Amino acid sequence: MLKNYFKIAIAVLKRRKFFTFISLFGISFTLTVITVAVAFLNKFINEDYPDYKRERSLYVGTMELRNSKEGWLNRSDVSFYFLDHYVSKLQRVEKMAISSGAQASNAFINNKKIVIEYKYTNADYWNVLEYEFLEGKPYGVQDIENANMVAVISEETRDDYFGPNVKAVGKYISADNINYRVIGVVKNVSKTLYNFAGDMYIPYTVSRQKWNEVGLLGNCTAVLLARTPDDVPQLKRDFDQMMSKVPLPDKEFDKAFSNADTYFESVTRRITGDGENSGQNKAIGLLLALLTIFLLLPTINLVSINITRIMERSSEIGVRKAFGASSSTLVYQFIVENLILTIIGGILGLLLSSIAIYFINHADLISNMRLTLSPAVLAYSLLACMLFGLLSGVYPAWRMSRLNVVNALKAQ
Amino acid sequence: MFKHLYKLMWNKRKQNFLLLSEILVSFLVIFALFSFLVYYFQNYQKPKGLDYERVWTVSYDNRQVSKQLDSARLFYDDLERSLKAMPQIREVAYTSANFPYSQSVMNTNVSLGDKVINSVNRYVSGIDYHKVLQMNLTEGRWFYPEDAAAAIKPIVINETLKAEAFGKQSAVGRLFDNHDKTSRRRIVGVVQDVKVEGDYLPSGKAMYTPLDTTDIKWNSFILLKVTEAADANFEGKLYKYLGQRFNNERVEITYMKDLRTAKNEVTLIPMIIFMIVAGFLIINVALGLFGVLWYNINRRRSEIGLRRAIGASSTSVSGQLVSESLILATLSIIVGCFFALQFPLLHVFDVAANVYLYAILLTVLFIYLLVIACSVYPGKQAAAIHPATALHEE
Repeated sequence: MLKNYFKIAIAVLKRRKFFTFISLFGISFTLTVITVAVAFLNKFINEDYPDYKRERSLYVGTMELRNSKEGWLNRSDVSFYFLDHYVSKLQRVEKMAISSGAQASNAFINNKKIVIEYKYTNADYWNVLEYEFLEGKPYGVQDIENANMVAVISEETRDDYFGPNVKAVGKYISADNINYRVIGVVKNVSKTLYNFAGDMYIPYTVSRQKWNEVGLLGNCTAVLLARTPDDVPQLKRDFDQMMSKVPLPDKEFDKAFSNADTYFESVTRRITGDGENSGQNKAIGLLLALLTIFLLLPTINLVSINITRIMERSSEIGVRKAFGASSSTLVYQFIVENLILTIIGGILGLLLSSIAIYFINHADLISNMRLTLSPAVLAYSLLACMLFGLLSGVYPAWRMSRLNVVNALKAQ
Repeated sequence: MFKHLYKLMWNKRKQNFLLLSEILVSFLVIFALFSFLVYYFQNYQKPKGLDYERVWTVSYDNRQVSKQLDSARLFYDDLERSLKAMPQIREVAYTSANFPYSQSVMNTNVSLGDKVINSVNRYVSGIDYHKVLQMNLTEGRWFYPEDAAAAIKPIVINETLKAEAFGKQSAVGRLFDNHDKTSRRRIVGVVQDVKVEGDYLPSGKAMYTPLDTTDIKWNSFILLKVTEAADANFEGKLYKYLGQRFNNERVEITYMKDLRTAKNEVTLIPMIIFMIVAGFLIINVALGLFGVLWYNINRRRSEIGLRRAIGASSTSVSGQLVSESLILATLSIIVGCFFALQFPLLHVFDVAANVYLYAILLTVLFIYLLVIACSVYPGKQAAAIHPATALHEE
């Protein structure tokens, strides 16, 4: 039966090439936009280099101090003291990666200026996050304790500073007029990973900032690694409980908010949320609203084209009805035909999206961001494709099934 | 004539309803696009209000600078003199973090009698700030070093703030209270608006306050206007020199030109993506419209043939079909305008009403052109129908 439908669908597609072109154009373009958008979102939501342990990780990013009477608030990243003094005491934290926000500095080499964004990290940073080392190795607890002037640099920095593919381990790199010995080179990290992207990583003890100063606001973020994924919800509760006991630094504020978030929550908290609310629902709602608005036009367009095509086939439908085909059979047939059309459009759309993604990656719009058509992206796009096909097929099929046999036959 | 056409369309209301909603949604998308474009274009046409070429910004960590007022003052005065003594540097000025094209914003309120003016950008600026940026004074003067001794501290405001506070009257000599009315400031000058957020966004209300002794110890940004002789070699030397002065703390030099490009990209890139997506949507709609109209005409061959047979000219036949689509478009446009007009009426965004009006005008024009373009060819085809063959088919 399906085979027959397939044959009919192909025959119909071949008959009116212009309409086929319009439908395919609409479907494939819509899918291209959705696929590229999903690939982009995927960069923010799904596991990505170097952060591969998301299912047992929680992210501590912002600290918000509030004066509920006056409505003031003060928000920034958390302090090292807060992480070291309170968070590290939590039972269920197996390891904690601490890093400071990236600070930009200049280095001058051969009359060329290089901008180096460096981060201070602890030793466990390299155990929690799986950076890929092209050469050398990370610094360890011993380097931190001795405050050794060592640095791990990114591939990009190495190529800019020492020349492409020159071995850098053992050489010295100068930033802020201070020389650091390079002990490792890691693969570049996409700038979309706010917490992990940097050009150079240095032990935090080297910093002359008062990193152990008492206070809650600072410039650090942390990844808490639980022992198992099942521990994560409990760790989250432990964190909230600990937070309720943290003493406030001064009388100006009466409330402090900080959260151990899943990765997605930590992203939405920065964009649509605040200390109390992760903003996850708001972000999902906004995305869905945007998607609906975007899909509205192509869907209406496809529906009206489909109706036009069906009316063209009224004689065929009339004959089938006259010989006893039920309305549901016809609806089914038409939906299948429409799905076939959508799938062809979908394949074209995927081709177009891979071209679009190639150009986006090539243009390097966001530093080191490489979009990919991962299985997750493909699955989502396929889902969108099916949804689109059903949406634009159901109404015309229903209209068709209600055609009056006599009128349909007479139209010939 | 119109009544008759309307009746014809009413008979096919089910089919036309889809077309109608399609045009309506396109109207709204195009309206959103044109609103942005008109808004950006209007801002783009205004002068920049500064010269960013060969302006370098230096940011540094001030941890090593003494927090004692006098020694900090001495240190910064000396640093300014030594920088200015370099032949490659023309002007030097300290600034707060929110210098033009930076990521920082610093807002405050000012009051004028009982009137409170919200979200005024406050720029803490050194004595030569306006020379570094080559800002244009339209009224009064910039700060003098002697102002430091004045009982009421001076400020310079921009034209937008002046217009909101004083209208067309002169602003020089007038007084502003700060937000809680604890101190007053005397306006000594008015400068042309500086588009700090990039070329496509408005300057906002701005006031410039002189960097006073209490501010200086927290200062961590310097603006430099350099000469053509300032090359990478000089930049390296300057970097080293600043590093020494700040005891090897973090120092970064950026070009204001690059900051401007980055700021503009933040506005332009989403706009370009929106335009590409909207462009494809419109092509999609145009093709769909074209297809449906073409098909409809083919179905009405007998009707058209009959009209031709009883003497209608080919132009009147194609005219009828084009005006049918135009009536359809008009109906959508009326509904669309109803929605679009809510934006200026309800002041949804803080944007001048004329932006929306221009946008609506452009959208109406665009939709009519689109519909005409899509219906002219099918109309022509209809006109070419030979009455004899069309009627013979029947």
